[in-house]
Amino acid sequence: MTMNLRQFKENLLVYGADIHKWPAGIRKAGLNALSSSAELRAASADEERFERVLKTRKHEEPGSDLAGRIISASQPKKKKARRSPGGFFSELVWEFSLPKPALTAVSLLLVCFLMIGFAIGFSNSIGSVSAEEYQTGIEGFLYYQGEVP
Amino acid sequence: MNAPSQLYLDRQTNHGGRKTTEKMDTVFFRLDDESLIRKTQEGSHEAFAALVKRHSNRFYSVAYRFVFDKNDAEDIVQEAFLKVWDRPGLWNPGRHAKFTTWFYKVIINLCLDHNKKKKTIALPEDIKLADKQPGQDLLLDAHQKQVILDGFLRKLPERQLLALNLCFYEGLSNKEAAKIIGVKVKALQSLIMRAKTRLKEEVKRSLSGGSI
Repeated sequence: MTMNLRQFKENLLVYGADIHKWPAGIRKAGLNALSSSAELRAASADEERFERVLKTRKHEEPGSDLAGRIISASQPKKKKARRSPGGFFSELVWEFSLPKPALTAVSLLLVCFLMIGFAIGFSNSIGSVSAEEYQTGIEGFLYYQGEVP
Repeated sequence: MNAPSQLYLDRQTNHGGRKTTEKMDTVFFRLDDESLIRKTQEGSHEAFAALVKRHSNRFYSVAYRFVFDKNDAEDIVQEAFLKVWDRPGLWNPGRHAKFTTWFYKVIINLCLDHNKKKKTIALPEDIKLADKQPGQDLLLDAHQKQVILDGFLRKLPERQLLALNLCFYEGLSNKEAAKIIGVKVKALQSLIMRAKTRLKEEVKRSLSGGSI
């Protein structure tokens, strides 16, 4: 790929005087063109001088605590954080400085206790009264024809 | 960006009250911008603070190059960040992949609004470019050269200045700058070419007269 003077000057303007920073696709052609023409070398040197002038532009430094000013300005506007279960647990972890494995172990333990509780609840039918038994009891009481003590 | 030791000091001075803050800050400073803005959206002020500390100076310089005034640039950066805090939903992870690209847009829109409201400030009388005398270049100090260069830049059309600031001074790629300005890459390149050609003429004219 070859590059003529017009293309070279356009690329100088768009990508800058440092040809090594040009996009890979045109860099090699740019370097070849530069080495083959004194006119292009002059154009490149001219662009370099111009960029040096532009780079002399400085800006005043911001106030020493710009960030602090912004942060404190946002404080009174602080909204109540929207609570999510994930957020709550993650704050809990931070608050008690629990490492993640410990939290996982505690969670698993709680889940185990819960499941054992359910298992005991379902399997233990002694002492529980079924609806049928209860109804029979009521009927027996209502239609009892014996002597009332 | 601040040095790590400075960040540590900032954490100590600004958030000494809560025992968990320092630990959280350390973690927040390791998070990328997108994670921080997501946490800000969840209401985390620490994440917001980390974002501010990381980017306030960088975006101050972007704003300054556009409004040419320290106080105005600071106000613009503050307004932009407070917008993020007050309306965190403005950043949409689906539409705005990169926080900084989106935040450039926020800053630039505020700068454009600001410039619309404010009249262009004329160059001070004592450094009028037309006044050229032999040896004057030696008398011009760095500050005056700055003012002259700023004068040339102020005269550029807004979009050309924008393209030059983003690509030349901020070092953004053409693609990223085009995305921020909302034009195609070819159009952005054309803006850069026109801006530089015009500035080059102005600078050359001044050089021949001995100003810069």
